[in-house]
Amino acid sequence: MSFLSVIRSTAVVVLYLVALSSFSVFSAELDKYLSEDNMDQGVINVINGPMIDDLAYLRKATIDVIGRIPKIDEIQEYQNWPEDRRRDMLLDRLLDGDGYADRWTIFFSDLLRVRSRAEGGNRLLAYVHKSIEDKKPWDKMARELIAASGSSGNMPSVGFLLADDSDPMTMAGATAQVFLGVRMACAQCHNHPFDKWRQKQFYELASFFGKTKQVESRMSKKTYVTEGNEMKVLWPPERKKPKERFPVEPKFPFPMEDSSVKPDYMQRLMALRSGRALALNKHKESEALDALIDSSVGKQALSSGDTLSALSVSRQSREDIRKLDVKGDLYRKSALRKELSEQVTRPENRYFARNMVNRVWAELMGRGFYEPVDDFQGEVTHLKTVDYLCNEFIAHGYDLSYLIRTIISSDAYAKASLGPDVALEDSESSRAVFASGIKRRMISEVLYDSVVIAGHLLDYKWPKGANVRQIERRVRVPLDPDPNDADELEFDLETDVKMESKKAEPRPYDLEQVISLDFNQLVKSDLDRDLVQMKAISDEEIEAKRMAEMVRKKKSVRRRYKYETVLDEVDDNPKFSSSMRMSTPAAPTHFLRVFGQPSRDGLGEFREHSPSMRQALMMLNGKAVHEASRVGPYEPLHDLLVGETINLVKAIELAYLEILTRSPSEEELSEGKMILKESPLNGMADLRWVLLNSHEFRYLP
Amino acid sequence: MKDSGCFDYQITRRRMLQVSSASILGMPVARLIAASGREVAAKAEHVILFWNGGGMSHVDTWDPKPGRPVQGEFSAIDTSANGIQISSIFPSLAKQMHNCALIRSIAGTNGAHGRATYELQTSYNMDPSVIHPGLGSVVVHEKNRLGDLPAFISINGQAAKSGYFGQSCAAYFIGEPGEKDPYLSFPAGITNVRGNKRLDLLAKMNARSTKKTGALDYKATDTAVKEAVSLMKSPALKVFDLKNEKPETLARYGDSDFGRGALLARNLVETGVRFVQVNRGGFDTHSNNFPAMENHGLEMDPALASLIEDLDASGKLSSTLVLVLSEFGRTPRINSNAGRDHHARCFSCLVAGGGVKGGQVIGASDKDAMEPVERPVKPSDIHATVCHALGIDHEKEVYTPQDRPMVLVRDGAEPVHELFG
Repeated sequence: MSFLSVIRSTAVVVLYLVALSSFSVFSAELDKYLSEDNMDQGVINVINGPMIDDLAYLRKATIDVIGRIPKIDEIQEYQNWPEDRRRDMLLDRLLDGDGYADRWTIFFSDLLRVRSRAEGGNRLLAYVHKSIEDKKPWDKMARELIAASGSSGNMPSVGFLLADDSDPMTMAGATAQVFLGVRMACAQCHNHPFDKWRQKQFYELASFFGKTKQVESRMSKKTYVTEGNEMKVLWPPERKKPKERFPVEPKFPFPMEDSSVKPDYMQRLMALRSGRALALNKHKESEALDALIDSSVGKQALSSGDTLSALSVSRQSREDIRKLDVKGDLYRKSALRKELSEQVTRPENRYFARNMVNRVWAELMGRGFYEPVDDFQGEVTHLKTVDYLCNEFIAHGYDLSYLIRTIISSDAYAKASLGPDVALEDSESSRAVFASGIKRRMISEVLYDSVVIAGHLLDYKWPKGANVRQIERRVRVPLDPDPNDADELEFDLETDVKMESKKAEPRPYDLEQVISLDFNQLVKSDLDRDLVQMKAISDEEIEAKRMAEMVRKKKSVRRRYKYETVLDEVDDNPKFSSSMRMSTPAAPTHFLRVFGQPSRDGLGEFREHSPSMRQALMMLNGKAVHEASRVGPYEPLHDLLVGETINLVKAIELAYLEILTRSPSEEELSEGKMILKESPLNGMADLRWVLLNSHEFRYLP
Repeated sequence: MKDSGCFDYQITRRRMLQVSSASILGMPVARLIAASGREVAAKAEHVILFWNGGGMSHVDTWDPKPGRPVQGEFSAIDTSANGIQISSIFPSLAKQMHNCALIRSIAGTNGAHGRATYELQTSYNMDPSVIHPGLGSVVVHEKNRLGDLPAFISINGQAAKSGYFGQSCAAYFIGEPGEKDPYLSFPAGITNVRGNKRLDLLAKMNARSTKKTGALDYKATDTAVKEAVSLMKSPALKVFDLKNEKPETLARYGDSDFGRGALLARNLVETGVRFVQVNRGGFDTHSNNFPAMENHGLEMDPALASLIEDLDASGKLSSTLVLVLSEFGRTPRINSNAGRDHHARCFSCLVAGGGVKGGQVIGASDKDAMEPVERPVKPSDIHATVCHALGIDHEKEVYTPQDRPMVLVRDGAEPVHELFG
């Protein structure tokens, strides 16, 4: 519910207040359970971290919910809100705004290992973004990811399977690790001595994917995930060299809670769902169907055809799919994977809710209730708190934004970390029980976007031609120009050889370039066209083809090159975009990767949070930070530094607010004046560079 | 701390969460090292790894099969090593074969790029529970940094990840060999005086916030900045610049990205860098294999030959192990698109220097280069060999940040001792 809607009608105001008060109660409950858990474990005498102040809270929550620091107008808006309600109002605005889906798409991309370059990767990325934007319940999303069949063109969630070639063993490991927070993949090869999972159980889980196969259609050149007849997962394992191997009967290995007693939270879930379905039924039939499917928790049977509706395919696509289904085997639904998706997401399956609760908690608090977050071993550090969060997460229909909101509005979230005056041991025992904050760094995308926002880099901040300068560049020049060049231009990557005597050499600072994808376009269902590259070709193959072309086309005229240094004119007036919508993961040497974005190649990979020299170099000398520091005439700061409106104190205060979301201290103010004394514009660039490079900028309050 | 080449500022969050703070303070966390007492004879101090991405055809390079239908368009030529022939795409390198050894019996098991690359670069198979460090990261974890430059440098692209050794053992990459790295100096328009002033102000600012909140959390970033600044100011940086090379030298290496990469690798090793990886793609020749390989030869031949020749002349070859490796070979059978497909069961690599006896061939493939018939070599054996050459115990146990014990090179690996004569 957005704050603005309050104005619309009094009825909404009442609802809003109800929501508000109950919301506060939830977070108070959360803190209550946390301290109970701590008491149960005999935690006494831990040092409590101080609470962060209101502006620091604005900064922290904005960074965590929408993935960037707050802008100046947002700071002012927040400060104008009534003190006792501003944090709630802030969360309303953040969770209903644009940035929320962008930021949490990154969380899911890490979790689901979204790779733009994998088959259907960008479609999957856009699907995830849309799902978060629509506040799609997590259980529904999980079912769509596990049960999807088809091509990514019309069923974008199928990209999750396509990325791992729908391989049963890989998918079994991924299902356990991604959705349930359990590492089972070791059991693929052997019974783990310390683990409770047996190899047979892994095979039984894998066999849910055992009839799934990928077919490449010669006609449409698309890869489809479909269901075959033959069970590919066989027991005993091949490496034991058995005489005979038998198809494995699918069996879900994870124990369920007792479903005969319907605890309060489950009844609330049922009520929520039937209410939602009823409301929708009056208006939109098709969506109501989705809701009904959602509400059929426990009800196993879904008539055939419904799955397709549930996966929100356009009507045209659905018809086409049915045709295909009749015609051949390209697009067969998987009863096995549907069964699995329901088992995974049943509210009785504690693993499912706990996994998400723990991952979101770890993302926001710096440490999970169990670590690593994909390796649940039967114990959590705070049992009552976890139970409470799981129950409420379920009761609220697996709504991610509810979970985020509850955690972010808790006292535990608003606690600062302890300073160096506290002994390290005390400090560690305090953060272990969430009595003080754990210092977290901005993740790479957030850091990038925050630099861009702080430096007003989303728009040009200079007039055209104000920063023209000459740079030296190395270019590749052909030694023996081929007279037949003209007709080669269409294929030759050296297209611009003639015009500019150079090939598309990488330019300095390419590593900070961002090109955004059009998620709306990508998520559109389309059977005829492919917006993404359907057949994954390795870079090496593309390069190999180019190599071959070079010789073939030139009929054994070997082209040789020399390198020359030329002078190039550039106008240093760059515009940057948000890094949240670029294809992902970025190239290995890109800013985002250098600051810890994972490659998402393997299941066990997490974001890297440790600093490195490369990171330091990219911040100290990088393009983004440099341009963010320089003061352009189109920035609000500019007029405080030159001309009649000059006001250096205000300028320093604005810089601190814009970059660090706080006012400068007395000491900082007088230091700032010293820095600005000689040349206000250059001095301000220096000051902003310092603030952007500071620990305080990079680490959350 | 001087027996590890990794910068000493790795404190991974997980590690911090799991060990007590006292032990973080008491010892540098980057040292995930357990005791070990194995003695290994070693001559090599440096490694240059040429990584050929995409799966380089072994028949068209190190293991020609003259007279067989699989041979394709290139002939086999004699070399400076008696009785050893290589592909005609390497005429200059052929003259250096007395310095080089070939392994013609690598028996790989992974036929997909991702998995095979992972195995050939880390010695392990992909594992969902852990990311293994690449060969370069292993080496610089075990061998100390010499001088100001990073111990591990990757040219023309990124090397394998540093896995559980963390970012501090990751490669420092160079995108365009010979070009000025814009990140190694203050941005355009910022003079040294002004840049240094900024750094002073930053240090002050950070000292203030460190006083207020956790020194522990900021310390690692401070170290990273300190390392960065000392690299920016290091006189050794000039080695990255190839402008001072004679034009003849550049021409000898072939003035291509690859040639410049090889030349830079030579200079880096001479400056003390432990591990240099030079990356090259474009070997995934599913179609038109021969023109593509011919072009590869044009760029690789002068560069590799000149590198080995120069290292030999300067005496540095005996302490520098040069390895030319790919994730797999390619099918000896030529497909209908005049290409070759993935072939992992049998392929080859070239090794030189670092104590390796030149002019010899280890192992052999069958008449069509389909299967190893003599002395099969596992990919992990190559890693063990590199460790052996450098005096690193490849069976040494180390701990991941999760305190999981790991072995540097996958269990069961054995150095190819014959290489060292």
